[in-house]
Amino acid sequence: MGSSEDDAALVARTVAGDRAAFGVLVERYAGQARRVARAVLGDPDDADDAAQDGFLSALVKLSQYDSRRPFGPWLMRIVANAATDRRRRRNVRRVEPLDASLVGGGPRPDAAAVRSELGDRLRAALKELPERRRTAVVLFDVEGYSHAEIARILGIPEGTVRSEVFHGRRRLRTLLADWKEQTR
Amino acid sequence: MKEDLELRAALKAALEPPGDQAAFVARVMAQYDQALERATIPTLDVLASWFRPGIAAAAAALIAGFLLGRTVLTPAPASIDAAMAPLEGPGLAALVTAPDPPDASVVFSSLVEQR
Repeated sequence: MGSSEDDAALVARTVAGDRAAFGVLVERYAGQARRVARAVLGDPDDADDAAQDGFLSALVKLSQYDSRRPFGPWLMRIVANAATDRRRRRNVRRVEPLDASLVGGGPRPDAAAVRSELGDRLRAALKELPERRRTAVVLFDVEGYSHAEIARILGIPEGTVRSEVFHGRRRLRTLLADWKEQTR
Repeated sequence: MKEDLELRAALKAALEPPGDQAAFVARVMAQYDQALERATIPTLDVLASWFRPGIAAAAAALIAGFLLGRTVLTPAPASIDAAMAPLEGPGLAALVTAPDPPDASVVFSSLVEQR
């Protein structure tokens, strides 16, 4: 995550019409925005569309950004909303049951395949979590946001964020522990 | 709540976008001008927000016109005494005391007498 001061300066330059400054912001937050959108949507292509929507929506709303606050949570709120809107519009995201082959394990020819299979399992496990819970876990554990920041991003009380992160992590940790047990 | 580095690494790897980040940035930047242009053009929502008060004003004017017209065209209600005045005299007596319904000619003649 970039420093808030740098972000604020870049925002000010963007508002003044500096296209390159906006480019730096996009570069800085692209990975984070795409991961958060993917946590909401699951599908990587849909996630990229939503992340793009989020950046462009943020661009036209930049004059509303309060530079005394960190830029990341403000942007992630817009990205998460864009992803949620896209999911609602398309209404094609079903909670799919865990693939039997993923649950049951199977032959693992090499380390890359093992990692790839773990990724598949984690994504499947994330899909099983309610949307708000998986977004909260990803924002906390992957992106390093505080509970208070996540509360602002998701528009829910901080206590609810703590609860969502706790339950989401417990589910994912169990899966991770089972996985380690199987690969020993 | 403590940071779980192992979970963090595993989740980050699982959610890592498959495509090139530079391509994504280029894709966003390609929409930069259009996004700003779209933001300056009144959208249908804005037009709709103008339209709604127009409909409300027209409806209010219609209702006001109807009520005003009704007030002007409806005669003021007469008092019961004024309404009964033409029947005073023999006509009224015949109407009140007769065991049978009064003959229309009696009522009519009473009215003529009043004039």
